[in-house]
Amino acid sequence: MDAHYFFPPAAAFPLNRFLFALKSDAAVRARYATDAEATMRAHGLDDATRAALASFDRERLVGLGAHPYLVFMAQVRLRMENDPGSFEYF
Amino acid sequence: MPLVAAFACPHTPQLLVRPPTEDRALVLRVHEALGTVKRRLSAARPDVIVLIAGDHIEGFFLNAVPALAVYVGARAAGEFGRYRYAFDVHEPVARAIVEQGIEAGFDLAYSQDLPLDYAFYVPLHFAMPAAAVPIVPLYVNVYLPPQPTPRRCHAWGRALRAILDARAERVALIASGGLSHFPGTGRYGAPDFDFDRALLAALAEGRGAETARLTGEELDKAGNVELRTWITLLGAVGDARAEVLCYEPSWHHGNAVVAWPV
Repeated sequence: MDAHYFFPPAAAFPLNRFLFALKSDAAVRARYATDAEATMRAHGLDDATRAALASFDRERLVGLGAHPYLVFMAQVRLRMENDPGSFEYF
Repeated sequence: MPLVAAFACPHTPQLLVRPPTEDRALVLRVHEALGTVKRRLSAARPDVIVLIAGDHIEGFFLNAVPALAVYVGARAAGEFGRYRYAFDVHEPVARAIVEQGIEAGFDLAYSQDLPLDYAFYVPLHFAMPAAAVPIVPLYVNVYLPPQPTPRRCHAWGRALRAILDARAERVALIASGGLSHFPGTGRYGAPDFDFDRALLAALAEGRGAETARLTGEELDKAGNVELRTWITLLGAVGDARAEVLCYEPSWHHGNAVVAWPV
């Protein structure tokens, strides 16, 4: 069985870099919210990757070589930004 | 000066920012255990808190993946959601760790420019004494394979202890991480709580050195890649018997707060 956290394939670097940006950079999240397609193209993502991101399908993204943790935390940060009222802050 | 306190704490972001999916009572019980850490930490009057955490691909990305690293900036700052945080770094201790660690045969990376990961922030948010104590962030690569082996982490912890014992400062050591969880994978809803319970029982008997014999594969399989931060601490605390302040398994995470007498 492959490890849950596997070596990130070099071919998936653009995807992982994009997920890293989405997770780490509020400006990228803002651009993504305004125009997802243009933001993904600007990050050099191919058709299959853009399609998987459009549905944010975890299994497809991981199948393309996305680091599972990056998928997870990009989603957490998008959710915190899009729906801040649904969280309790300590 | 020997260590004045040693703890392990979870840092799952749901403890800080609770979505409706999380059991509020459970979250509050973990907060209570972290409150105990805060009281004991305050009573121990540390001059510096050395905090061992895994990078969540926050500080380091694929441009460089250090196995072990030390943050040696003047301040360590970061953000998570609406939280903005900054801590003074204890530069003399941070420098001693990186210089003497390399001298001892550990090829440590260091940085003066990293955003501080929430893995460092969450324990400090709940457990930092009222009069803030400077920190030294120590990084262990946990999420990007190949990670350092448990054996290496344990050896690093032993070397770290020798460095800290030779210092004049009162040092508190905290490992941040774990226990079982599988973020971003198909096993997110099915952590290995049996692994956690067996581990905590062994630690309560002072058998921490056994963790050095675990393999990276076993850690990955058990959702415990972050245990490397604990294993590093276990190298430092030796055969001290752990006191489990709480073990609260949620639907996706084994939340454990542990103290060691030092």
